[in-house]
Amino acid sequence: MNLEKEKELVEKAKKDPEAFGKLYDEYYSKIFGYILKRVANFEIAQDITSETFFKVLKNLWKFRWQNISFSSWLYRIASNEIANFFRKKKYKMISFEKISEPISSNNPLIEIVEAQEKLERHKNFLILQEKISNLPIKYQEVISLRFFEKKPIKEISEILGKREGTIKSLLHRGLEKLRDQMPPNKH
Amino acid sequence: MEREDLIKKLEEISLPEIETPSHKRKLKEALLNKYFREKRSWEIFDIFRKFAPIGVITIILIILISANLIFPKYSLVKAKEIALKDPQIKEWVEKGAIIKDIEIIKNQAYVLIQPAERIEEVPTKEIPTIVEIRKEEFNGALAEVNMKEKEIAKIEKLTPIVITLTEKEEEKIKEIAEKSPEIQEVIPKEAEILQIKSPSPQFKLIRKGNSVQVLPETEDKKKASVIYKFNKKQWEGKVNLSEEKVEEVKFLGEIEE
Repeated sequence: MNLEKEKELVEKAKKDPEAFGKLYDEYYSKIFGYILKRVANFEIAQDITSETFFKVLKNLWKFRWQNISFSSWLYRIASNEIANFFRKKKYKMISFEKISEPISSNNPLIEIVEAQEKLERHKNFLILQEKISNLPIKYQEVISLRFFEKKPIKEISEILGKREGTIKSLLHRGLEKLRDQMPPNKH
Repeated sequence: MEREDLIKKLEEISLPEIETPSHKRKLKEALLNKYFREKRSWEIFDIFRKFAPIGVITIILIILISANLIFPKYSLVKAKEIALKDPQIKEWVEKGAIIKDIEIIKNQAYVLIQPAERIEEVPTKEIPTIVEIRKEEFNGALAEVNMKEKEIAKIEKLTPIVITLTEKEEEKIKEIAEKSPEIQEVIPKEAEILQIKSPSPQFKLIRKGNSVQVLPETEDKKKASVIYKFNKKQWEGKVNLSEEKVEEVKFLGEIEE
């Protein structure tokens, strides 16, 4: 989706649920993927994704296309939710049962089990991710956005609301800290 | 591990790309079901946001208006208080003068003090019993008050403005006085006119930019005082030339031998 079309859709989404649905379809996988790579847990990723999109819905009226794109705004909300999760470590799960409206009766249990199995097949990623998750959140964010989401420095600075120079130095220090955790090269 | 190796590892690592159609669908349903509830809140907040600047402007205006209406009054009261603490002004006020006008410019207040009624320079030899203030020939004064230091910076006495009446005007005044039933009733027929004069006009303060000017009030121009004398007694009749009537007749006093 190009930027102009996205701008139009965001404005439309403030009045029209169908437009909001389109935006959701566009970004769900990206946001869920980002969160999953940050927390490496399928259920937690689902909950943080739900919380992120509920916050998006709640605050959509406030969103103005000023200095930050809609995509960056979504990633920022997601990053904040992930940071909350890491800080509290007792994330309050969003329960679909708590939402008064009826939800599809499809049992998602099989999907969760299968997805978790798929995730566990990426052993190298999980090992690396575990080491990243031991770093302070500020380093986790930049490393994940740069290498897993393949975001350019400019966009990371937009998402995290920090200067590009700050992002570069955070990235540099984060990599140094991560390197310290990696096993030495075998000769 | 070398830094370059770590970067290479991060760039090339196989990432999990897992689809979650069930969660995606359920979350979408939940969000769309909540959409209209949230939309209502957005609309309310949007109204608040639209009207917030108007509200803020209104509050600022109220504060400014209050500041202009209440604080100047408060400052005027303060200036009056400071002026009245000055012994000279206090004496004038005790003898019947009033604080007629006050203008405040920055930290300086200009206080106009004038006799409550215009006091004419009546020939004192003939009427020595007339109120004391008359002897002082006090026509008014302008006091400058330093509001910051709360003290009088300067007091300047005002020079009276003499308005000469034409012969025609004097004749007209005499005619009005003669015909006046009030004068006929109070003043004996035998009394003779001692003097006819136009009272010096009252002063007023006019603010011009950052300065204040003392100017005469023009409305007094068409008024005159007729002083009558009979034996040792003196009366005053106040004539309004423009309305061609006598406004007031009063007994001034008795001449002491």
